[in-house]
Amino acid sequence: MPGLPGSPLGVHSWDAGISESLVFWTTPLPSGSGKVDLARGTASLKANNICAVFDAFTVANSLSPDRPLGYASGIINSLDIEWSNVINTFEGFSDAADKFAGDFFQVGNVTIAVTATTPVSTGHGFRFVSDPASTIVNYAQIGSERSGVFF
Amino acid sequence: MKSKNSISGNKLQEKRCSRRNLIRGVAGAGLVLGSGLRLPAFAGDQDDGERNKCKTLPRPIPRINIPPNGHFFFAGPVTGVAAATDPTGAYPDGRDPSTITDFKGLIAQADLFFSGTGTDLNTGRSAPYGFHTDWRFMAGVFVGVDGLRHNGTLSFL
Repeated sequence: MPGLPGSPLGVHSWDAGISESLVFWTTPLPSGSGKVDLARGTASLKANNICAVFDAFTVANSLSPDRPLGYASGIINSLDIEWSNVINTFEGFSDAADKFAGDFFQVGNVTIAVTATTPVSTGHGFRFVSDPASTIVNYAQIGSERSGVFF
Repeated sequence: MKSKNSISGNKLQEKRCSRRNLIRGVAGAGLVLGSGLRLPAFAGDQDDGERNKCKTLPRPIPRINIPPNGHFFFAGPVTGVAAATDPTGAYPDGRDPSTITDFKGLIAQADLFFSGTGTDLNTGRSAPYGFHTDWRFMAGVFVGVDGLRHNGTLSFL
């Protein structure tokens, strides 16, 4: 989640790092955090205190082996993302090359309410509180998927 | 497909860590995580890090996006058509929204711009602040690197 440039408060970018199995920027959440209702065309993701995230300040810095800007612990204090309003469907899609398939639905409405913090103790203390009404959707989708051994 | 500077090449630089250690790190005073401490622990860790293992690691999708040499696709239609959200172009075979493979379940993805209020916690200064995010989740069954099936919710951010 990189910050947009130009803020007088400096740069911040939270991500989940790369797992030892090389899964990219992905972290576990409690079961039930994410819900999808394909019949209604809605989904939600609600979570609190996601601690396995880091403030890498910029995406480039996060991906740099030596991270010249440093690297600090972070926390997503609260998160509530809501998806709704199906505007396009891709049912029965299958990609044999990448071994994934499923039913996918592009949605037009999303709001995000998130509070995230880089603790003062890191020397880069910063907190962000979003305004859900400001959300601009570039692309969003929900769906059911099977991949790899389930393909 | 692994380049000299790929993330895969950096694997040996990574160290294992546990969810508990991460939480302790956040709660503890003055800990700045270094390059060796960037790994999320995954749900289902039966020892919760006490033996310094991350047992339930999912597998990444096979595709390596270059750049930035990571196992993911940028956001966009699953059909793989060119999209403004994907600076790497079109993928005629498809564009998987999941970051893990051997997965069966539900997904959601949102590539967004949004804004709010940022506060420098050292000075107390607040100002409008904007973010871009590509936030996703995968909820369902996956086969981990241990070869076993696991239920879980995983979030890309």
